[in-house]
Amino acid sequence: MTDEQKSLAPANPKMTARDVKVFYGPKQAIKGVSIDVDMDNVTAFIGPSGCGKSTFLRTLNRMNDTVASARVEGTITLDGEDIYAPSMDVVQLRARVGMVFQKPNPFPKSIYENIAYGPRIHGLAASKADMDVIVEKSLRRAGLWEEVKDRLQDSGTALSGGQQQRLCIGRAIAVEPEVILMDEPCSALDPIATAKIEELIHELRGRYAIVIVTHNMQQAARVSQRTAFFHLGELVEYGVTSDIFTNPKAERTKDYITGRYG
Amino acid sequence: MAEHTIKAFDDEIDRLRGLIAEMGGRAEAAIENAMLALQRHDKVLAAEVVADDRRIDAIEAEVEKLVVEVIALRAPMANDLRDVIAALKIVSVVERIGDYAKNIAKRVPLVATNSRTVEPISLLPSMGQVAGEMVHDVLNAYAARDADLALAVVERDTVVDDFYNSVFRTLVTYMVENPKTISECAHLLFIAKNIERIGDHATNVAEMVYYAATGKTLPERERGPDIQMED
Amino acid sequence: MTGPAIILLLAGLGAIAWVSARARAMRLQTAARATGRRDAVHSLPGYHGWYVALWTLIPAGIFLAVWANIAPGLVTQSVLADPAAQALPADGFARSAILGEARAIASGLQAGAFNPASQALVEPYRTAISEYGIAGAALALILAFAGGAYAFTRIRPDFRARTRVERLVMMALLLASLLAIVTTLGIVASLLWESFRFFSMVNPIDFLFGFKWSPQSAAMGYGNDDAFGAIPLFWGTIFIGAIIAMIVAIPLGLMSAVYLTQYASPAVRKWMKPLLEVLAGVPTVVYGYFAALTVAPALRDFAVAIGIQGASSESALAAGLVMGVMIIPFVSSMADDSIAAVPQSMRDGSLAMGATTSETIKRVLVPAALPGVVGGVLLAVSRAIGETMIVVMAAGLAANLTLNPFASVTTVTTQIVQLLTGDQEFDSAKTLAAFALGLVLFVVTLLLNIVALRVVKKYREAYE
Repeated sequence: MTDEQKSLAPANPKMTARDVKVFYGPKQAIKGVSIDVDMDNVTAFIGPSGCGKSTFLRTLNRMNDTVASARVEGTITLDGEDIYAPSMDVVQLRARVGMVFQKPNPFPKSIYENIAYGPRIHGLAASKADMDVIVEKSLRRAGLWEEVKDRLQDSGTALSGGQQQRLCIGRAIAVEPEVILMDEPCSALDPIATAKIEELIHELRGRYAIVIVTHNMQQAARVSQRTAFFHLGELVEYGVTSDIFTNPKAERTKDYITGRYG
Repeated sequence: MAEHTIKAFDDEIDRLRGLIAEMGGRAEAAIENAMLALQRHDKVLAAEVVADDRRIDAIEAEVEKLVVEVIALRAPMANDLRDVIAALKIVSVVERIGDYAKNIAKRVPLVATNSRTVEPISLLPSMGQVAGEMVHDVLNAYAARDADLALAVVERDTVVDDFYNSVFRTLVTYMVENPKTISECAHLLFIAKNIERIGDHATNVAEMVYYAATGKTLPERERGPDIQMED
Repeated sequence: MTGPAIILLLAGLGAIAWVSARARAMRLQTAARATGRRDAVHSLPGYHGWYVALWTLIPAGIFLAVWANIAPGLVTQSVLADPAAQALPADGFARSAILGEARAIASGLQAGAFNPASQALVEPYRTAISEYGIAGAALALILAFAGGAYAFTRIRPDFRARTRVERLVMMALLLASLLAIVTTLGIVASLLWESFRFFSMVNPIDFLFGFKWSPQSAAMGYGNDDAFGAIPLFWGTIFIGAIIAMIVAIPLGLMSAVYLTQYASPAVRKWMKPLLEVLAGVPTVVYGYFAALTVAPALRDFAVAIGIQGASSESALAAGLVMGVMIIPFVSSMADDSIAAVPQSMRDGSLAMGATTSETIKRVLVPAALPGVVGGVLLAVSRAIGETMIVVMAAGLAANLTLNPFASVTTVTTQIVQLLTGDQEFDSAKTLAAFALGLVLFVVTLLLNIVALRVVKKYREAYE
């Protein structure tokens, strides 16, 4: 156990957050969170509704910028580079830190165009042939290629919920991100579709740093190697997933994961 | 400890703990009665001990069923998970303890004839008492989730081991001097061995209680050198 | 007995029926509840009250309504049966004049008679009116009592008064909505009928596809055949309402909607949206004189200054521009709704891919909102081509078929106004042409509305 604890602070973290505070107007949503996200492990954020886990996730690719009243303090770095520095280009940042949302949100375009959307914006494909390659590769990685290869021109919204979510993951993958943030990616899906997404997360592990927010503790236990428990805007405990779920240190973590919360 | 949001979960955990307490109480009584029957050479009491063991087996089966249900239906986590897993392991150990007590009781008629002449038998009741107390304490420790008490039980195992070693030497000496009593002494030796195993099992339970309570496993104990091979 | 008095009396009866029925139901139900059976009591006492009150009022009310229509006939008959009526002239016209005068005097509307013959009939009239009045009132009261009594006897603890009252309420609501539909049907029927009469004088093909519109010449007796070609009107309507106005309204409306939904801070939005909607509240006649007195002369001066031929002070451009401005809030609020209906998650999805706000709007929001916007634009077009006041004041009367926006054109609605104002004979082709034009306008607007609503609905479903 103790040697696992040591491995918790990776030698070369992909993203680090130090004393991050987020305010929505006068209300403080995140109260000084410090955490390292590492490349080789899936990190899960768990915690009750309103604990700030989604808010914190959205600071990692500056999606909070879209909320006018939000203000972020502290430092967050990606490969050692401050992502809130004035020199950081948000467009570039979001290409490097992709995001998958709670509800599958494919654009009302064809499957092909959904995947091609990001590469087009970032000018990643020089020709149609390039784009075809990117689309196929992304769909393969998202585990969707076999299911949709014969109907790439169908609308993305015509797919089932689970397929839509994998399409959204494929869409995020298409711009070759380094980090993928997932905000409760399975909360709108049935158990089978959920299992497919979880398997996909396993396959993507190592290639991308993955951070997943989930309400479902079993899911956090299944897909992650690191688990962070948030409560009332604080990071209560961060540790190896198997430790958190068998022997949490903090009383609040224990009460939450054993179902004694509130 | 705070209650679960789902009250039925608390009820199930309580029931589990209640069953284990009952089982422990029965095992404890079985040890006590078996030793009493041995001392008094009471065949009826011995037969009762043998008969009562069935109830212990039944409780084990019930706990196993309940544990599987709780794991399947409640998906326990953290200390709940450890509690439930400990319960599953504890019952199988306590069941073994019950079996040892039964085994002692079964030997009561066989050491009947000359028991008074067999001097070393005087050591056995005290040994049995220590082992019985270990079982008692370890179950209290489980009930109270008391890691310190569990540790104390672990430490007391050496007392039982020491008893066993001295009983063993005494009996061997005795058998050399009185070859006629070999058969009886062999039974007594087995009884001593049974009590020693009860102590070991109580220690195992203590380790599980410690894990359930703290989430840490005990470091490997240093055992005294065994003077003979395990049976 | 007079009308208001009987109505008051009935209302009083209704109130009494309500109170007494409610009290009786309450008493019976208290007793029934004592039996302890759950189904012993059905409706609340209030429903019993309404049930009896309605039985008291509705039959009597219906009777009064019928009576009010047939009583005058009965009165006249009884007067004619009077010996004094033997002296009446046989000629229908004189006869009814005398009768009418006598009636007016009898009911107090006129002080004295010009015609002595009618003076003789006043007294019979007076008695007949009062007799029938009393008879009607009595019958109504009897009906009210009978209805009330019938309903009152039906009060039992488990009587389903609620079900019946609810059914009646439902029927009343249905009647109200049917009234609107029947009115619409009536309008359509009259349009169809008058248009049919018009088309029996003028060939529909000539009307729909003819290039010459000069109803004045037809009225002056030059023949109908080539005077009612409505193409110039259709063109004028489309030119002003669907082309010039939309060139103004679509970009401005769309851009303001995008600004309001995507860029404006909540505070700005809170102020700007109502301000924009004020535009929609300006009376069209105000737009009309603004177009005619301010915009049109300025445009003509401008056109003359840059040397455009045929610039008129009543130009298509003036009317179209002002109409476009009038339509802006309409387009803007439809587009606003459809853009706002695109889920936030889609916007987030695009932003999270690294798209900028304008890329997100261009590539995701507007395409996603397009069906809704198109629906809104179609509705706006249908509104624009039906718009009357602005074009009447600013667009002119000359039925020109021209592409020059500075020239004068006329529209369907302008011509309808033109054809129907002033002294008209209602059976000339000139007048009836207005109905045919109205019918065309009605059909086109109806189609546009149907298509637009369908598009909008389909689009809404996509994001449910």
